Amino acid sequence: MSLPPVSTVAAVAPADRRGRRMIGPAQWVAVAVLALLVVAAVAPAVLAPGDPFAIAPVDAFLSPRWGHPLGTDESGRDIYTRIVHGAGTSLVIGVAATAIGIVLALVLGLAAALGGRFVDFGVNRLLEVLFAFPGLLLALLVITVYGPGIVTSTIAVGLATAPGYARIIRAQARSVATSPYVEAAVVLGRSRGRILVRHILPNAVLPVFVLVTLGVGQAIVWAAALSYLGLGASPPAAEWGAMLYAGKNYLATAWWMTFFPGLAIVLAAAATTVLGRALQTRGAR
Amino acid sequence: MPLRHRSLALSLAGLATASALLLAGCSADAGPSDTPATPVAGGTLTYATGFGEPTCLDPHVGGNMPQALVGTNVLESLFSQDETGAIVPWLAESGVAAEDGLSWDVTLRDGIAFTDGTPMDAAAVAANVAHMKDPETASSTAILALGKVSSVEVVSPTVARFVLSEPDSALLESLAQTWLAMESPAGLERGMGANCEAPIGTGPFVFSEWVKQDHVTLTRNDDWTSAPAGATHEGPAYLDTIEWRFIPDPATRFAALQSGEVDVIDEMQPDNVVAATADGSGLDVLTGALPGASIRLELNSGYAPFDDESVRKAFIAAADVNPGIQSLFFGTVERSYSVLSSSTPFGASFEDDYAIDADRANQLLDEAGWTSRDSEGYRTKDGERLTVDFPVSTNQSIPAEVSLFEQIQATTKAVGFDVELHPMDLSSWYAALGSWDFDLTSAIYTKNSPDVLRILYDSENIIPAPSGYHPNNAHVSIPELDDAVTAAGQTTDPDERAALYEKAQQLLADGAYVLPLYDHLQKIGYGDRVQGLSLLPTLQIPYFGDTWVSE
Repeated sequence: MSLPPVSTVAAVAPADRRGRRMIGPAQWVAVAVLALLVVAAVAPAVLAPGDPFAIAPVDAFLSPRWGHPLGTDESGRDIYTRIVHGAGTSLVIGVAATAIGIVLALVLGLAAALGGRFVDFGVNRLLEVLFAFPGLLLALLVITVYGPGIVTSTIAVGLATAPGYARIIRAQARSVATSPYVEAAVVLGRSRGRILVRHILPNAVLPVFVLVTLGVGQAIVWAAALSYLGLGASPPAAEWGAMLYAGKNYLATAWWMTFFPGLAIVLAAAATTVLGRALQTRGAR
Repeated sequence: MPLRHRSLALSLAGLATASALLLAGCSADAGPSDTPATPVAGGTLTYATGFGEPTCLDPHVGGNMPQALVGTNVLESLFSQDETGAIVPWLAESGVAAEDGLSWDVTLRDGIAFTDGTPMDAAAVAANVAHMKDPETASSTAILALGKVSSVEVVSPTVARFVLSEPDSALLESLAQTWLAMESPAGLERGMGANCEAPIGTGPFVFSEWVKQDHVTLTRNDDWTSAPAGATHEGPAYLDTIEWRFIPDPATRFAALQSGEVDVIDEMQPDNVVAATADGSGLDVLTGALPGASIRLELNSGYAPFDDESVRKAFIAAADVNPGIQSLFFGTVERSYSVLSSSTPFGASFEDDYAIDADRANQLLDEAGWTSRDSEGYRTKDGERLTVDFPVSTNQSIPAEVSLFEQIQATTKAVGFDVELHPMDLSSWYAALGSWDFDLTSAIYTKNSPDVLRILYDSENIIPAPSGYHPNNAHVSIPELDDAVTAAGQTTDPDERAALYEKAQQLLADGAYVLPLYDHLQKIGYGDRVQGLSLLPTLQIPYFGDTWVSE
């Protein structure tokens, strides 16, 4: 009796859990929101043809109305236009920060799982130290050292999310490494590198992609928080957190300056989270 | 069960507060009929400042607004000014210049002592001047103000003679500022560390506690006898204590005032001023134009690109600020075309130099060689973009001002300037200025005399003071201007001073070194529990010697 090719086992065995699941209304809304966000990020002019930086002091502090559906800010800039144009920045920060976090976590997690006892010990202690800091504090530390800006805040958020992912990847890789199909590959005399790339990596990482979807939402919120603190995007960038910050000074008189950018952050984070959860429950079946 | 008791207690407390508020409301309603209310001694007043927390409470060290605001309650000066700006006595009775203007005899009031018992005599004045002039003190404001004073001689216990290297028409005005206030010599001898924690003065309050990042507590000096001119009562202050809190965020500060959590706030937002002055708000606002320089943008003419006069002129011709000043400040400030504050004499306006003309700006930039534009529409020359770095101190510039800077960024972009705003905290901002790492900045400078022109634009002040701060941020170096401000500082003839100061301001305007915006307004908001609050005219600082709180 011949075993099926190991590679087939690897690709199919853990991933072949195709639970057919109805997509509910919440998921549809989330998909719609994300689709809109992607359009806004790729081609903002389609949704909002105006200039997000065009000032018009005479039109400052206008409440939502015809022509300015979400009102105007203190310099008479259209808030709807700015939110649409800000989507790109927020999404790029969210995705890029998560990508940085994942890549770093892969290196740390795989090294810990497969690098032997001492490497595992070292990486684990490092992760424990990083875990001791709240994520945002870690991000603030990076920004304090390297100075504020979009690039630093993206890297900072990425670094801050890495320890969490690294732990999951380590645990996953360890269980995969002791699975029958990897044992089979070892018995068949496959090289270490091939086993790592062909068998361990895909199976250790695939479950993490569900977390990534959840992570993007969190990264968007964190990046907005950093901009809100004046450590991310610099003025006059149409970044949601920065808009929120500018608006809070006029909270009592011009609520729309904070409400709508805040709503955009909530929607973006909620949409990615809802989809992430849907993928998670689907994967768990 | 304990939880239940707790909530019951809380609601009882709430009820008590509510009825107290109701009662307060009643008495306030009855107020207008039985005004002038009788001052009540006692109670605590809470002040929340947005100017930031000083790093040292001794205003001789460095010398900025946060120090002056809190320090005025504790430290008093030799002279004061009345509403018209005329010099009036305070700790000193009089100051008389010698014929040649090279010395001043300052006669002190007899019988005043510091709160540690040290007499406030001529020896104390000499010790204070020596302290301010000592490079170890790291003074910037006081040492510049005393630039012409070589030494102080003790003629008698009540007469101190200021010996000058050249005549100084602004000496008494300088001495009236809190940054040159008199401190106990015994206190100074404790060393900088101890003196920074709690300098000892002659004022209505003493520093009793400083919890860093939180508050300073001031308690009443029961032996206070040296009220300034214009005070409405003699004898100790009414308030037991003042709690001086630091709330940097303007919206939070105003909310704290509205809720009654604090009694007095400074650095109010324009929209909050409008809200507080409205009928039925239960709040009131005191405003005064701070003397010295107006709020203005300084173009760093020492480095590219603003070392080129045409580029400076192009920037000023493109920076359209009037519409923004109107909308962002809700009519609370007026556009100024003068480098000097409206409360400082000898200010001159050159409105024509600040006319907005985008065509002219484009033409000037073309002539200056900034002819090509990059993909984002910014002008370039030899591959370099026309970038203007603009560090903004979020402690010194209120949000409305930062928004105005964004508008300047937008209007100057049209002609090809890439203005990069860098919001930063005060110490990073000082560091950027100190290393000349900026092209454009907005720096406040408060001084109660037109001599501020010499401080800010004399080429000598490109060199930093011992504190590391160089007041001449525009890097102005014009021999004619140096001569004019020096001569104006030496003469006491008003016509001559006017002509010289006008010439200096003309040179600044024609050379496009500065873009004046508006007066720096002191905007103090207070609740209706606070009575007898006023601004001391010298630096428009709130004065609590006559203040009382109605319970």
